Parts: sequence; C-alpha cells; structure tokens
Amino acid sequence: MIAALDVDLAYPLTDGDIAVNNLESARLHSWSRFWRDPLREQAAESIVDQEQLAAQFLGDLAAFDRCDTLVRHCDRVDAESPRTALIHAQVASMAHRFAEAKRYLETIADCGGLSDAGKRLSLSIDQAWGTDLEAVLEARRRISAKSGRLEDLIPLAALLADLREFDEADQVYQRGLKEYHDTSPFPVAWGCFQLGVLWGELMPEAQSNRAEYWYRKAIEYLPCYVKARVHLAEVYLGYGRTKEAEALLLPAIPSGDPEVHWRLADVLAKMGRVADAEAQMQTARSGFEALLEKHLLAFADHGAEFYSGSGNDRRRAFELATVNLANRPTLRAFEQAYEAAVAAGESERAARIVAAAEERWGAARAFRSSQFAESHAGKSESKGATA
Amino acid sequence: MSDHIDGPRQIGDPAGDLTDLFAFTSPENPAHTVLAANVFPSAGVTAMFSNAINHSIVVRRVSVAGLGNDAKFKAGDKEYRFSCKFDVLQRDGEKTIQRGTLTCPDGRTLRFVVNDEKGASTPDGVFRVFAGLRSDPFLLAWVGGMKRVPNLLQHDNVLAIVIEFDTQRVLNPREGSLFGAIAETTPLAAGINPVDSPPLRYDWVGRPEQTNMRLNNSGLKDVADVRDLWNQQTPFAIAEELQPLFRKRLVDSLTEWDMRDGKADWAPAEINAAANVYLDDFLLFDVSKPTSDTSFLEIEKKTLRGKSYTTGGGRTVDANVIDIMITWWVNNDREFLHGGSPSATKPGTKTFPYEAAPNTELQTVADSVDLAASPDQVWSAIGKFGDLTWHPLAASVRLTGEGVGQLRTIETIDGKRIIERLEAVDNPQRLYRYTNVSGLPVMDYTGTFDLKPKGSGSSVEWRVQFLADNQPTLIVRIIVATLLKTGFEALTKRFGALK
Repeated sequence: MIAALDVDLAYPLTDGDIAVNNLESARLHSWSRFWRDPLREQAAESIVDQEQLAAQFLGDLAAFDRCDTLVRHCDRVDAESPRTALIHAQVASMAHRFAEAKRYLETIADCGGLSDAGKRLSLSIDQAWGTDLEAVLEARRRISAKSGRLEDLIPLAALLADLREFDEADQVYQRGLKEYHDTSPFPVAWGCFQLGVLWGELMPEAQSNRAEYWYRKAIEYLPCYVKARVHLAEVYLGYGRTKEAEALLLPAIPSGDPEVHWRLADVLAKMGRVADAEAQMQTARSGFEALLEKHLLAFADHGAEFYSGSGNDRRRAFELATVNLANRPTLRAFEQAYEAAVAAGESERAARIVAAAEERWGAARAFRSSQFAESHAGKSESKGATA
Repeated sequence: MSDHIDGPRQIGDPAGDLTDLFAFTSPENPAHTVLAANVFPSAGVTAMFSNAINHSIVVRRVSVAGLGNDAKFKAGDKEYRFSCKFDVLQRDGEKTIQRGTLTCPDGRTLRFVVNDEKGASTPDGVFRVFAGLRSDPFLLAWVGGMKRVPNLLQHDNVLAIVIEFDTQRVLNPREGSLFGAIAETTPLAAGINPVDSPPLRYDWVGRPEQTNMRLNNSGLKDVADVRDLWNQQTPFAIAEELQPLFRKRLVDSLTEWDMRDGKADWAPAEINAAANVYLDDFLLFDVSKPTSDTSFLEIEKKTLRGKSYTTGGGRTVDANVIDIMITWWVNNDREFLHGGSPSATKPGTKTFPYEAAPNTELQTVADSVDLAASPDQVWSAIGKFGDLTWHPLAASVRLTGEGVGQLRTIETIDGKRIIERLEAVDNPQRLYRYTNVSGLPVMDYTGTFDLKPKGSGSSVEWRVQFLADNQPTLIVRIIVATLLKTGFEALTKRFGALK
C-alpha cells in the first residue's frame, strides 16, 4: 500500500471502456470520411492522431500498416501539397523513420514555413533522436508552462527522465496529473504508465512497488492499455506472482502485440508449463519478425530487447540494437547496443560503442549516471595520472 | 523497455464537446416544447456518452428590457435545469448497452436506454427524453470568408439529447413566455479536493457560433483568441470586468462581417446594439408563439429594430442558422445569402426524437501494389472490365451490354456467380468504378481500380466500399480483403514488385 502516491485527480474521468469504444468508433468514422473525400479538411490528420492512439494504448500495431495506406492514398490524390508532406512526416516519425520525417519537414519549411503541428513534430523528433536536447528542454518547458496541459507535461517529464533528472521528472508527471481538468482517460493513463517506467526501469535503483502502483493505476483508468499490462506482468513475474501476471496478459492477447506473447511465455515458463510457454514464444518470435520486416526502425529496440531476453538470440539482438542506434543515437540506445554487443561476444565493437557514446554524450550530465560513466571516469583518472 | 514520447497532438474527450442547441415547438404536440443539445462532433456509429459528464440544458425566463439601440434581454434568476448523466457500458451478449438518467426541473428522474428511439417518458407524460446517435443536423457550407462549399459535415453523426415537455406544466408561461436556453457540459462530481479544484465547465453554448464566427472571426487580423476565456464564463453571468473586452470584440467582428460584401449596411450604433444583445448569449424562444425553420433570431432582430416580435424565435432542427446569420450580418437582411449546400445530410423529422436517424458508415477495404511494369502494360492487363483472366479466383467472365452500364457475370473457381455493373471508366486516367449487383453479402458495394505511374513502374490501388448484408461485417471484410490480396499477389507474380 502506497497511500502517499494516490493520484489526486481533480475530476472524474470517462470510463476507459467508453473512451476506447469512442476512439475506435471515431477512428472508423475518420476512415470512412477520408475515403469519401480524402481532401476534406482534417480528414487525414484525424486518422493519424487516432491510429497513433490505437497503437500506443491498444497495442493495435496494424495501425502502422493502415497509416502506410493513408500516405499512399494521400500521394495519389494530393502528392505535392505541404499537407501531404506533413502527413508523411507524422507517419514516418510514428514508425521511427526520423530522418525521412525530418526531410519532409524541411520540404514544408522551404515551401513557406512549418505550422504549429509541424513545429511540434520537429520537437518530438529531436527529442526521440537525442538532438540538441538543451534546446528541446527549453522549448518543452516553455510550451508546458504556457498550456499547463498534461499532454505537454508528459513529454517534458519524459525528457527530464532521459536526462536523468529523475526527481524533477517525477514532480512534473505528478503535477500534470493533479492539475488535469479534462475527462479523457488517455493522457492520465499515459502519465501513470510513464511514472511506472520511471520508477521501475529508469531510476538507478528501481522501486518495483512504486512501478506496480503506477502501472495498476494506468490499467485502472484504461483497462485495455496493453503496454501497461505487459509491464505490470513483468513486475508480477519478478515477485513470482505468476497467476496474477497470466490473468493480466490473457485479455491483451487479441491485440496481437508480440510483447504480450513474449511476457506470457516467460510467465508460463516460470509456472513450469513448458509446451505452452514455447508456443507463446514462437508466436512472439514470428510476431516480432513480421513487424520488423515491415517496420524495422519502429520495432528495432523492442526486437533487440526481446532477443536479448528470453527470445534468446544474442546476434539478432545485437543486429537490431545496432540498427536502432544508427537510427536514434540516444544515450539509452548506446547502452542497449553496448549490452547487446557484450552479450554477443563482440568486445571490440562494444569498445567502439563506448567510445562513440563518450564522444556524443560525454559532456552531458546524464552521461555521468549512465553505465558508461565508470569507464569514462577511469579513463579521465588515468589521463590525469599520465599528465 | 524503452518507450519514446511521440504522442498524438490532441487526446481530449470529444464526448464533452457541445455542437448545437435547439429549442422549438414540438411538431407532434404544439402544447409541448422541445429542447435538444448535441455533443461529440463526427461521432462514429458506436459512439457513447461520457459517464463523467453532466449534460445540462438550462432555461431561464427572460424579459425585454430595452428596444432599438437600447435592446436588452434580461434573464431572471430562476433556473429550469434538465440534466442527463450516463452509466458505464453494459454488455448484453453481443450488444453494448448504455443507460442514462434525466433529472427534470421538478427533481424527478427518468431512466432511459441510449439509442432507444422511443425514448422514455414520465408516467404523467410531462417529460420525455431520447439520447443517442443521430445524423448531424448542422449545415456548414461556407469557408474562409464568403466562399461557398458543399456541407462540410455531410454524413457526420452526433450524440443527441432530446427532451420534450409539457410547456404549461413545466414553464408556466403565464408568468412570462419568453425564455433563454443554454447547454453546458460539466464534471459529474466535484473534485476530490474542492478547494484546489474550482468548479469547471467543459463547454457551453447559447446561440450558435458565438465563439467560432463572432468572437474568433477569421477576418480580424492579429487579434488574440478569446474563445477559451469565453468558454470559462458562467452562462447568464458573464464577468462584469470582461464584458468590455468581449463587447469590443463583438463590435469589431460584426463590423468586419458587415463589410464582407463591400457595403456598410449597419450603422455603428446598430452594431453596438447587436453586440450588446450577443453579449447575453442564450438561445431565445417564446413558448406562446410558433417556431419555424425561419424564426431563428427573429426575436432579436425585431427587438433591435424597435418592434414587437411575432414568432417563437428558437431554433428548429432544420433552421439554416449559418445562412440566416451571415445574411443578417453581411447585408442586414437586404438579400438572402445561400451557402454552398441547401440542407444538412438529412432533414429533421416531424416525429420524436425529431433529429434524423444516424448515417450509416460504409466499410472500406483498400490495398495497393507497386509493380515493375509500365502503366500501359499493366492497364492493358487489368483495365478491361470484361477481362478478369489476371485474377486467380475468377474462372470466367461473361459481358452483357456495352460501355458504362454493362454487366459482367463472374463465375468464381468455387462455383459462385457474382454480377457487377460498370459505373464509370476513364482510360486516359486508367481508372474504372463498378458496383455489385448480386452474389456478395453486401449493399452499396462500389469498387474502384486506379492505376498511376510510380517511378519506373506502376502503382495499382483497388478500393472497395460496402455495407455488409446478412453477414457480420468482419466476415465480409475478410471476403473482400482476400479478393484484393489474391489479385495483387497474381499481379506481383506476373509483373514483379517495384523495387
């Protein structure tokens, strides 16, 4: 029981089942509207927003394929417009094709400047890419101070967490939740989930009980939040509470997200149900490979984690972590690639990754609390001794 | 596990967004009044109400406190409040059900089922309520100043709350028959910490388009957006200190509207007077007089002209409020201005619940393939309506007739017979469109083939829209998707995939 953590929401939220029902309903309506008149104002834009929500919260990864269909059709009917370029940029960013997204944004900027949506997307890409994070941080602070909206505070807090400013990140998340004055459960569930990740996975000393609390809250607000279920199941598995973990994952199977099968395989293996576990692991493996074939950059980091873990293919993990690092050289991507290199026995390449991480991130404060800090400090000391 | 932050632009709850408010004499019973409020713009066909929101229509008695350029409508203190709240969803087998509760001004409550067209009534017949999906009755056929366009909300649906009541027994018009109505969406319960959480209103509406066309007139350049500030105001009680700000914006906005045809049809004093009237933002209706599709704003206009009004004002479902408002603002009713569309998707009905049944949503299955062959090569293979030799599932095709209107009878390899009609063909653009006549469990089935050059090859899109008939939609989607996929696989095998 962590009473002090209670989410102090100002007003009640729309029930998660209603919100999901309405999202799916609105998403289908947007498609219908788009096919009737693809050039209609906001027709394509609404689809991108709603498909992103479906992927983010419902684990509906077919959203990536549907967005590809969207951009193909936009190209057919309105190829040259800045509007289509922005849709392209959004869909490319969603699939982690950041360089492509940036190219589209540059095209739009050359043709008369970026809209607010374009600027916002550019900022998201810089954040995901780990580019000029001080400027991104300043912009995030400015935007969230002006709007006060939870949807703007969450990216600020996530950036602070990336920069290893964990206390402030925690405060920003909690402030955002406390000051939330809308009825949609999506941003609140998202904030709770992020707090779970912060306490369970990002903090140097993970606090599983806190992570459990926030994941549970996220699911309470949005019962079909697939990622929250997967992460909470992981926490339960750590406690040995396999029955509860299984109960969490079973309702998430229809989403088709391979992470559900992966976690379920781990749970079943721990329960001693070897054949069932292997079947789930096979489904997870084929699910990841199908996703990687179509959307490599979007799922490279997740795939690397899978193969580093019970997916049990160190070489594939290293390959994917390298792809992810090349696409998005964040400190976390360096750490993942380094671990994968070591596990794959690629000591020389691991050393090169450390050197590259130092070169890119050595001056950043976050670097000092990364796993590279020790070797960096050792080198500095030996340099000092030599001098 | 890593999760990057790349969230969508807006993830608010559209179910709390009010779109329109109506007040009119009941077409079924002239002794009754109907109030209706719509929420959730562009709602999907399975949309439901938020269970966290109180949906209220509030009525106050109003008196005419000034005429001509001193026109003023003064609202009394007594409220007649109709509030609807909704439950969480319940499953009944395959069906999802939502129930709601109307609290009437006399404190009685009335339970109802969402989307039940009969609605629910109190035993004495004084109150009746419907809540559920309806065709959006709003008509928006103007954009960017004075450009006429087809209805931008064509085929859209909204969630409607329609309340009908016995006018004499509820509003007691002997004490005054003129009323003002607003609709508002508010939190269902106070905050956990009421001290930190001031009362909140998600949205409210009086007369149509107070925010988007008057306070935020796109013709006014470099002015601050005051819509949020307005939405935070309490209906019937706009903050004294903010009234000058809003009044000035309304004056500027109405002045700009007046000049959109290049002519000044309003004297400055008249614009000031109209701005004052608009500042008291409630939908006026007089229950002692009839309402009609053209009576919207008649009470305001006559009063501003120093005359007695003759209609019940209000707003009916079919009132073309945008044309009425634009005509008044732009040329002071000199000449009626029509937008680009004469009516909403569906007209209202003369029977309860008066707002038209929802629009059905066509299902779409679309796929495309990029081929390593020139557009002419590919079109010569697939561009003939009567030739499906390229499709592995078609055993034979027999053509009847010629040109547009011709029929093709397809025998499939598993012995089924499908008949389709050619609706349009454009060989230079490499496109044809056809409909299904029989053989598939569908209605309103339209298929479109569209071939375009792409790089050194071609891109073919095949799009099918339909409504499932006597089969679950999912089954029909699978049938259609298989048809497309099999065809495209054969084309890829034949021409190769474009690298």
